[in-house]
Amino acid sequence: MITEETLVAELKDKQTQAKAFEVLVNTYKERLYWHIRRIVLNHDDTDDVLQNTFIKVFKNIESFKGESKLYSWMYRIATNEALTFLSQKSKKLGVTNEALQENLAKTLESDVYFEGDAIQLKLQKALATLPEKQKLVFNMKYFQEMKYEEISEILETSVGGLKASYHLAVKKIESYLTTAD
Amino acid sequence: MKKDRDNKFKTPEGYFDSFNERLMARLSEEEDIVSDIIPKTDGFGVPAGYFETVHDAVSSRLPRKGARVIALRSYRSLYYAAAAVAALLVLTAVWNRNTASPLGFEDLAGADITTYLENNDLGLSSYEIAEVVDLEEVSLSDIMDTQLEEEVILDYLNENVEEIEELNLEYDEIQ
Repeated sequence: MITEETLVAELKDKQTQAKAFEVLVNTYKERLYWHIRRIVLNHDDTDDVLQNTFIKVFKNIESFKGESKLYSWMYRIATNEALTFLSQKSKKLGVTNEALQENLAKTLESDVYFEGDAIQLKLQKALATLPEKQKLVFNMKYFQEMKYEEISEILETSVGGLKASYHLAVKKIESYLTTAD
Repeated sequence: MKKDRDNKFKTPEGYFDSFNERLMARLSEEEDIVSDIIPKTDGFGVPAGYFETVHDAVSSRLPRKGARVIALRSYRSLYYAAAAVAALLVLTAVWNRNTASPLGFEDLAGADITTYLENNDLGLSSYEIAEVVDLEEVSLSDIMDTQLEEEVILDYLNENVEEIEELNLEYDEIQ
């Protein structure tokens, strides 16, 4: 398997760029897709944000100096792209970010690409009530099964802070699932 | 912070020294406990074969080798400028045919041009305008009635741009 350093070097070289980019996309497309999907919820929006993420990576690969891991850098771009997308969407609709989150969770009921049952739908409604950071940490830890050290590098938060966020998120979600209608 | 000197309660030796470690250990233990309330999967699905299409979709949006990228979105005003020039040429040609004395640019009233533009759909696309207008020769000051002070621009950005991302600044690694 190609090393990260080699892949970055090939991405910066015009001769090998196209092939290396294909390897990059095929290596990370699914992981980044699910990361973005859990933020924006809708498949079509996720597709847009995922493409924008790879385009930004391609255009800015020259500025990547290898001081962080390539995948952490890409996750950071994906996270920023997804959050910016939501912010622009709420601005366009003239609603608050919280109202948008709530609305997105509700529309999952009629989303053809949401195959969840009642409890999974309720989970999304519970997640919509969480502060952004707690929601991100919960999804990355619980569903993407990332290590705290990896999440720490992406979100630039201490491991201790992440553990506290995760703990709080789990408690709030459990409380929502057992009490809310 | 002031110490609680009068407190008669005692704690085991080294209790506070190891508090952080024990708290973190407990959080780690809790993280390993699988919640029997939260579902294990979240129910999202993707269209069949979607992931096979991602690379082609992204590649088709990348700038082609050697292609020059010209942003057209801020040239709405040029649309009207080009349309005005086209309208003037047409009107001048018509007048020249029908009158003995040739008319100059100054003979046209601004209101006539405005009326013409309002009543006629010229149907020029951005690309058609780009073909006839040399964008490299055009600066912002050519299409603005008043000059913008740097301070005004910064005020506008402060009030209207919430995310720095919208400015399309280049990503750099965060140190």
